[in-house]
Amino acid sequence: MIDDMKRRAFLQAAATAPVALAASLHEDLPKYRIVSRFAPAAIPGMPGPYPGVVARVHAEKSIDEKSEKVDVPTVREMIAQGMRALTGDADARDSWARFFNSADVVGIKVNCSGAPGIMSTPEVVSEIVRNLGVVGVKPIQIWIYERFRDQVDSVHYDRYVPAGVHIWTAEHNRGSIAGYDPNTYVDVNFFGEDDTRSNLARPVVEHFTKIINVPNMKDHGASGVTGCLKNIAYGDFSNVARSHSGIKTNTYSLIGTLATVEPLRSRTVLGIMDGLRGVWHGGPFSPSRKFRFYPKQMMFGTDPVAMDRLLLDVIDDKRKAEHATSVWDRSLAHIKSGNGYDDNPNIDRYIREPGHIEYASTLGLGVYDLDKIQVRKIEL
Amino acid sequence: MLSFFLAALLPGLYWDQSPQTAEAVKKTGAERVYVPAGQEAAWKAAGIDAQAFDAAKFVKLPAPGVEYRMDVAAATSLPWVDANGWRMERDGGRCRYYYNVPWRKAALAAAEAYVYGVDAVVHPEARDVPALGQMLGFLRSIDGPGLPVLANIGIMDDGSDETGEVLNLLSRRNLMYRVIAAPDPKYDLNVQIGTKEFPKEEAADAYGFATLVRQKLTDEKRLLRIYGSDVVLGRLNGDDRRVRVHLINYGGGKVDGMRVRVRGEYQHGKVKAFAGQDAALTEYEVVDGGTEFTIPQMSVYAVVDLEK
Repeated sequence: MIDDMKRRAFLQAAATAPVALAASLHEDLPKYRIVSRFAPAAIPGMPGPYPGVVARVHAEKSIDEKSEKVDVPTVREMIAQGMRALTGDADARDSWARFFNSADVVGIKVNCSGAPGIMSTPEVVSEIVRNLGVVGVKPIQIWIYERFRDQVDSVHYDRYVPAGVHIWTAEHNRGSIAGYDPNTYVDVNFFGEDDTRSNLARPVVEHFTKIINVPNMKDHGASGVTGCLKNIAYGDFSNVARSHSGIKTNTYSLIGTLATVEPLRSRTVLGIMDGLRGVWHGGPFSPSRKFRFYPKQMMFGTDPVAMDRLLLDVIDDKRKAEHATSVWDRSLAHIKSGNGYDDNPNIDRYIREPGHIEYASTLGLGVYDLDKIQVRKIEL
Repeated sequence: MLSFFLAALLPGLYWDQSPQTAEAVKKTGAERVYVPAGQEAAWKAAGIDAQAFDAAKFVKLPAPGVEYRMDVAAATSLPWVDANGWRMERDGGRCRYYYNVPWRKAALAAAEAYVYGVDAVVHPEARDVPALGQMLGFLRSIDGPGLPVLANIGIMDDGSDETGEVLNLLSRRNLMYRVIAAPDPKYDLNVQIGTKEFPKEEAADAYGFATLVRQKLTDEKRLLRIYGSDVVLGRLNGDDRRVRVHLINYGGGKVDGMRVRVRGEYQHGKVKAFAGQDAALTEYEVVDGGTEFTIPQMSVYAVVDLEK
C-alpha cells in the first residue's frame, strides 16, 4: 500500500535563476518554494516557439452585441487565419499539426469565472476541438477543464463538442483539494495562513501532454487584467484566492510564479485569447452586463506575456473611454469595501497589479516590451 | 510529556427521557449512563445500571462545531471553529465535562472527549442517539496501547482569559503544545507570556500571538500540518517508534482529499475513519524529514497510526 519514495522536490532550474533575478529587483516579494518532480521540456510551451509574436484577428460580425449570438463561420475563419498568421503556414491544418498529433492528450483550459455572462465561448472551444480532430486527436483524448464545477456546469460545453470529450473540474466541492496533485505545488506564506500550499490540477500532471489556454479579455480587480497568465496560473492551482485577502495583494508575483511550475509551463503550448466578449470592470466576474463589451477579436500565440501585454491596453483603453480609473491607478482613494465595486467602475477592492505581466517576463515566460512584440493583425 | 492518553475511556451518556426509552439507550452501547437523580431505580428495572447525574460535578462545554462569523472582522474568512481541546489541555485532566449538544453534534462531542482522554458525558438529542452509538462503537474499536501526548511547544499558563484564547488559537492552528509549569528544554519552543520574547501586550491579539508562536517555532518544526481543510484539528500521541494522529472534523460535512504531513519519517501507516468503510491512506510518502499522506474522505473523526 505504501510507496517508499524518495523526495523528488527541487527548485526548477529553469525558474530558479529568473526568480532570483526578479527577487533582487523586488526584495519584498514573498518567498516561494516550488515543489515538482518534472523537469522542463527542451523548449517549454511558454513562451514556446514564437516568443514575442501575437496574431490578432478582428471580425466585426463575430458576435452580435445585442443578442450575444456568435457567428460560427466567422469564428471558424478567425481561428484558421489566426493560426496561419502565427505559424506562417498556408494551410491551417499544418499550423495545428505543428502543435498537436494523434498521440496527444490535450487539455483545453477554459475560463468560466464570469459564466454565464462571459466565459471561453462554447463556439470557440468547439472549433478548437474540431481542429484537434483534424490532426488526429480523438474526442476521448481531449479534456475541457476548469477549477469550479458550478461555473462550468452553467456553460454546457457538452452541447457543443462531440461525445467522448471530457469535461472536468477540480473542485466539485469548493475547497476540496482531491482534484489536485499533492506532489506538485507552490508553498508560500502570505499572511500567516495555515494552508500554505497551492497544488496543480491532477490531469495536468497525470494525463495531459499538451494544453491550450483559452482565456477571455477581462478586467480583474486584484491583478489588473486576467488573460493568459492568470487563467493558466490561478485556473490550474488550488488555494490561490488567499493571494488577495488584503487591499495590497500578492497577485503581482504569484501569477507568474505559478505559471513557471512544471509540467504546466512546458505543456501549455498554445494560447487562444477569446475576446469576442470582454469585461472592462468587475472582473473576473460579470454579474452586470453594463460592464461587458465586445472587442470582437481573438489573439493567438505561444507567448502569454506578449498576449497579456496587448490585453492590458485593450482593457485600460476601454476603462479610459468609460471614464473609469486606470488599471495602473494605485491610489487608495478609490478602494472601498462592500458591494460598490460591482456597480461603480471608480470603486476598487484592491490595488490592481497589472505589473504581474512584466514580472512574469522576468521569469522567462515571454516578451513584455511592446517594441519587441510583433503583432500580426488580420481584419475580417 | 508524562500525561498519557487514556485509551479506554469512552464518553458517557446523559439521558433525561423516561426509562421506556431504555432500548434506544442500550443500542448506543454506552458503558456509562447518567440519568436525572431519583430515576436510577426505574432505569435499573429497565435493565440499565444508570447513575444519577450531578451537574455540579461537571464543567459544561460549548457544543463543538464551526460558525461563519461574517460580522466579526478578521484577517481571514476562515470559519470560526468551536473546539474544546484547549480547555481540556489547560485543565490537565482535573475536570469532568458535560456536553449538551444540538442535533448532529453528539458524535463530534464524543470524538473530541475521547481524543483528549477526558472524562465526559454527552447529552444528545433523541434523533442523534444512533449517531452517538455509532461513534461509541467506533471508538471502542480503536485498539492499541495508550501513548504519551506529543507536543513540541510548552506554554506556561497564567490562567487568564487572554492566555486561554491563545491556547484556543494554538489548537486551532494545529500547533502541538502542552501546558507546563516551567520552561522545559525538551520542547522546541517554550512560551512564557510576559517575557521579552512573548510580551503580554502581544497576547491581547490572540491571532497575532499564535502567528508569533508559529514563526518562532518555524513551519519546518511543526509536528502536524493539514492541507485542504480549515476545519480539521489534530492531536498526536506517540513514542520513539510510532505516532497516532487523531483528526477531528468540526465542519459538519465530509472532507475530501485532505493532505496531512507529520514530522518524522514513518514507513508504514494505516487509517481508521468513522463511517468510512475500507478507508486507506493514499499517496503516502516519506519526504524531507516528514511523512505525508492523503485521506480520500473523512467525516467526523479519523485516526491514523504511523510506524517506523
